[in-house]
Amino acid sequence: MKCVTLFRDNEHCWQAFGQDPDKPDNVVDTNQYVVRSGDAAILLDPGGMEVFPPMLAALTREIPVENVTALFLSHQDPDIGSSLPLWRRICKPDVKIYLSWLWAGFTAHFDRDAVFTTIPDEGMEMSLSHDVKLRFLPAHYLHSSGNFNVYDPKARVLFSGDMGAALVPADKGNGTMFVSDFAGHIQYMEGFHRRWLGSPQARDAWVAQMSKLDIDILAPQHGLVFKGDDVRRFMDWIAGLDIGSGLAAMNR
Amino acid sequence: MSQVSIPARVHTQRTDRIEARANGLLGDCRRAFHAFGNLDELAENLRILSLNAELAAGRAGEKGRAVRALTQYTRELVNRLAQIQGEMNALRHRTFALSSTILRGMMQMALFERACALVDDVGHDAAAKASVNRAFSRIMRMLVDTLDDMANSVGDLARRTHGVEEVVSQSDSIATNIAIEAAAAGEHEKEFRTVSDTMRRYVDDLRLMIDEASDAVRRASEKGEALRRLGLDSLEDLEDLEDNG
Repeated sequence: MKCVTLFRDNEHCWQAFGQDPDKPDNVVDTNQYVVRSGDAAILLDPGGMEVFPPMLAALTREIPVENVTALFLSHQDPDIGSSLPLWRRICKPDVKIYLSWLWAGFTAHFDRDAVFTTIPDEGMEMSLSHDVKLRFLPAHYLHSSGNFNVYDPKARVLFSGDMGAALVPADKGNGTMFVSDFAGHIQYMEGFHRRWLGSPQARDAWVAQMSKLDIDILAPQHGLVFKGDDVRRFMDWIAGLDIGSGLAAMNR
Repeated sequence: MSQVSIPARVHTQRTDRIEARANGLLGDCRRAFHAFGNLDELAENLRILSLNAELAAGRAGEKGRAVRALTQYTRELVNRLAQIQGEMNALRHRTFALSSTILRGMMQMALFERACALVDDVGHDAAAKASVNRAFSRIMRMLVDTLDDMANSVGDLARRTHGVEEVVSQSDSIATNIAIEAAAAGEHEKEFRTVSDTMRRYVDDLRLMIDEASDAVRRASEKGEALRRLGLDSLEDLEDLEDNG
């Protein structure tokens, strides 16, 4: 599994894990992120149970697993957090698990003993350390009805969940975890956004909210990471995309 | 950028053996409960038969006195069957909950075993290896504890099966006694013989249930014990590894 450092400023660091070459083809590729500050770390969308072994192996090359003080689940999907009971077995018993209030009871189906710190609809701020604060920003209906992104104002990194996600075939990668040709990358994210996103109002609200932020890196849960001008290109592209393609299949 | 290449999913022979035996154990438990699937229907049939027998005994007057006493005894047996059935339902719930815990534990064990293999390289320090191995040991311990509970459940099931066996034996005696009474019941012989024959048919059905269930319970009991031993051996190995590591 690849591990790429997206941002580093002394002990404050963002790392992306993904593109596991040994992942079975039928398991969708996911990116997992770790934000570290000193001896504290939060794991963003820790992944499905199938990626748990390589993810744990890759993570423990970077930090002691005891340093993971919090887990964040952007929404309820199995590729986001079905590994939750496994992480809870290896992390400290007081590890915090952040999740939309909407999904706590549903996600308990993965792990009935998990205790969630629920995020209200309007989002919240969490302190990873005394000087690194993360903001959980609402991204509801994109695609999940209770959905959050994570913004780090100091690192200027946005973990955008399924916004910006792409399904890049294994043989079509560019060898990195970053988008290098935005126009060429559209083909891998277009179908995903058209079909998975259903609400133009939610999309517009998201674009308006995120446009107010300083974002150097936009890191989605699937596919490649956007940096620099590609962040703005993505915002412009998604703002004009026709979404909700599944509606065409109804009432035929 | 660092890249770790991992091997495809690895199972050790021991995990495979645990998984195969656990699946066998759960299968035998399911078969045992399945064998008793019609117990409530049979108990109800026996209850109705005892009511009909009592009516027939009433019609026979003095000649039906012994049959009346026997049918009262039959009703006690029916009540005993109903009690066993209730206990078995509770046991079924408990056993299936334990099965679910075992299946979940095995899945987690397989994933942690894979993680153990992946961290067992020069890129990981001793602390990382120790924490993954510790988590693996904890799952194994949980699995062994759950298998202990499962073994107790199988023991309870064996006791319930024995309880049904006693009911069968007593019902068989009652059927024989009713047949004897029928021979001396004159014009009521046919009625009493029908009761006796029907009861014997139910007894045969119950016997068939017990044969099937006993076989499954015996197998489950053997597998449960073997599995527990295997789990304990694995746990010992893991603890040795932790102590020496």
